[in-house]
Amino acid sequence: MGQQILNAIFIGSIYALFAVGYTLVFGVLDILNLAHSAVFMLAAAVTYTLVVNHGQSFWLACALAIVAAALMGVVIEYVCLRPLRRRRAPPIAALISTIGLALIIVAAVEQGRPGTLFSWLWVDGANSVSLPAGTYPNPIWNLGGLTLEGTKLAVIPISIALMLLLGYVMRFTQVGRGLRAVAENPRAARLMGIDVDRMIMLTLIISSALGGLAGILFGVALGDISPYIGRDSVEVRGLAVIVLGGMGSVPGAVLGGYLLGAIEVLAVVLLGSNVRAGVAFAALFLMLVLRPQGLFGAQLRERL
Amino acid sequence: MRLVRLVSVLAAGVILGACGSAGGGGTTSGSSYAGKTIKLGAILSITGAGGVYGPQSRDGMKLAVDQINKSGGVNGAQIALSVTDDASDKAQSAQVAQTLIQQEQDLALLGPTLSNSAVAVHPLAETLKVPILAVSTTGIHIVPDCNFPQTTPCRYVFRDSLGEQTAIPDNIQSYASDGHPSTGVLLVAQDDKFSSDGGKIVQDTVGQYNINLLKTIKFNKGEADLSPYVTQAVALKPDVIFITSLGGIPAKIMVAARNQGWHGQFLGGNGFNTATVSKQAGDAGKGARSASAWYLGNSFPSNADFVKAYQAAYGKDPDQFGAQGYTAIKVLADAAKRANLTFTDLAGDRDKLRAAMETVNLPQTPLGPFQFTSNHDVKQTVWVIAMDGVGGFTLVHEIKAS
Repeated sequence: MGQQILNAIFIGSIYALFAVGYTLVFGVLDILNLAHSAVFMLAAAVTYTLVVNHGQSFWLACALAIVAAALMGVVIEYVCLRPLRRRRAPPIAALISTIGLALIIVAAVEQGRPGTLFSWLWVDGANSVSLPAGTYPNPIWNLGGLTLEGTKLAVIPISIALMLLLGYVMRFTQVGRGLRAVAENPRAARLMGIDVDRMIMLTLIISSALGGLAGILFGVALGDISPYIGRDSVEVRGLAVIVLGGMGSVPGAVLGGYLLGAIEVLAVVLLGSNVRAGVAFAALFLMLVLRPQGLFGAQLRERL
Repeated sequence: MRLVRLVSVLAAGVILGACGSAGGGGTTSGSSYAGKTIKLGAILSITGAGGVYGPQSRDGMKLAVDQINKSGGVNGAQIALSVTDDASDKAQSAQVAQTLIQQEQDLALLGPTLSNSAVAVHPLAETLKVPILAVSTTGIHIVPDCNFPQTTPCRYVFRDSLGEQTAIPDNIQSYASDGHPSTGVLLVAQDDKFSSDGGKIVQDTVGQYNINLLKTIKFNKGEADLSPYVTQAVALKPDVIFITSLGGIPAKIMVAARNQGWHGQFLGGNGFNTATVSKQAGDAGKGARSASAWYLGNSFPSNADFVKAYQAAYGKDPDQFGAQGYTAIKVLADAAKRANLTFTDLAGDRDKLRAAMETVNLPQTPLGPFQFTSNHDVKQTVWVIAMDGVGGFTLVHEIKAS
């Protein structure tokens, strides 16, 4: 059971880190950025390709991949969101445009094979790959019947530290106050002299960088990097997490992430292996029926 | 604006990158075949879950087509092979098949890569009376009962890939006599025909060799993290973990189980049999056994030629899927040669080809001497192989066709 609790905390950390980015954008813009899962995947793919195909050190590759993810945040804003916002398009239009961008990113990575246009980005096509052993330290300890893997353990404090940092920034800094003002009422924020476009851009950069980091941690710790890890592993679960936690609430996303991780693992342990997804989404359904605003719904008005 | 342009270029690139190419062309004289074109259409999973296998099938096929066309074609007719990606999606696979049959008017089809898609494609080919040769599908009810649960044999569906119904029991038998395991746990992907079929075969077979199956653990292909399942399996301390799944999943399970300190034997099915999976599993996969239709170092004379040509063309070793793709084209070419095709009556030609396929008897292919059984299945030597820990395989046993 101890091992399963570790499994739950580990995957919960990934869900939480991913969902925080999701919910941040929703909180500020009232828009679901469905390209978030593609950014998650892209960062993992960039890390892999920099290490394996371009001979860079693992740490540099991670740093560059997070920069690439943050830049994708800029692309999402300029390509998918800002033009639509200017034309006062309904939120559904932005939802569709982010889905479109996600498909393009996944397809670009998928096409990366030797001799193609995208071989600099990725060369393994649709294959799932892992970073070669020895690229990064991964000590394994055995403590009282528990197997502790270095990479999986590292995910937990990294995620928690980043989420605490984000919480601090949102609550106690000028930038955070600006973001919360935009979330509350963009027009009023603009009248107060806040550069709303800049705040939105910042939101997307922070959100995408966090999503990218989640992707790198996922790809490294699970040894699973492919064009589909975002779509298959976290896209729908990320949505579930932010509904569980309360749409737009950062603490809600964190708690929701750990909750979904725990529910999924408990389902495997207690009810048998083939009901995991079913139980997780049944819990989500229950939440929607009993408390539609989510765990932190009371703070919905305040949002961030 | 610059960003918009950048994305447009990116999108254009994606579309360009996605476009495949097809062979065709030249003529030779000699018979009524001279100057004609034999159109073949392959439906393969180049992207998606089956993208681990489809590209190798394609490369094997293209190599065979090039060799045949360069050496004068089929009685002077050239083979034109088109390869279409079904994105590992069942519905898309069926749409592609329909297009190839009705719009492209291909003489015969190859594929699809996944058993899951074959369930949609093969009955369609049977209904429209087009010969189709499966090159990698190993699930149950592929041949002859492609319309399962109807049991009427399908006349137009053939298979040159080794079915799991042969491969998995052969593998279990071989390990039972080498390692005498007494307990096992099965990890099976339940949402995929190939994987769940494999699981059923394991469940049906273990009893014969006195292996007690402690638990069957089912999961879904798209799970984010398989660790909870692996933890459950390892906690039971089995001698053997059976894995029936495809893509990168077997490798992920192996790595997770080894990290959790389990030292037993992995046994699996066709999902193990590609270098990609062996490479991904790395040291964790060392010794993992499966039965394969083909082995890189197999002693058949034509295999050495095939391996050499494949290496020259693609700069890497072929795998089982490459060998089966290559053999499939040789099989169709042999049938076409003897079918006395008219090149004017497509329906008649498809029927003649089908009849000629039943009597294919090739003494030399990379898979060994090749014939179809009366059920249109492949009759061939089975190779029990083990992952070598560095992306390849070593031979454990050779089981001759009975």
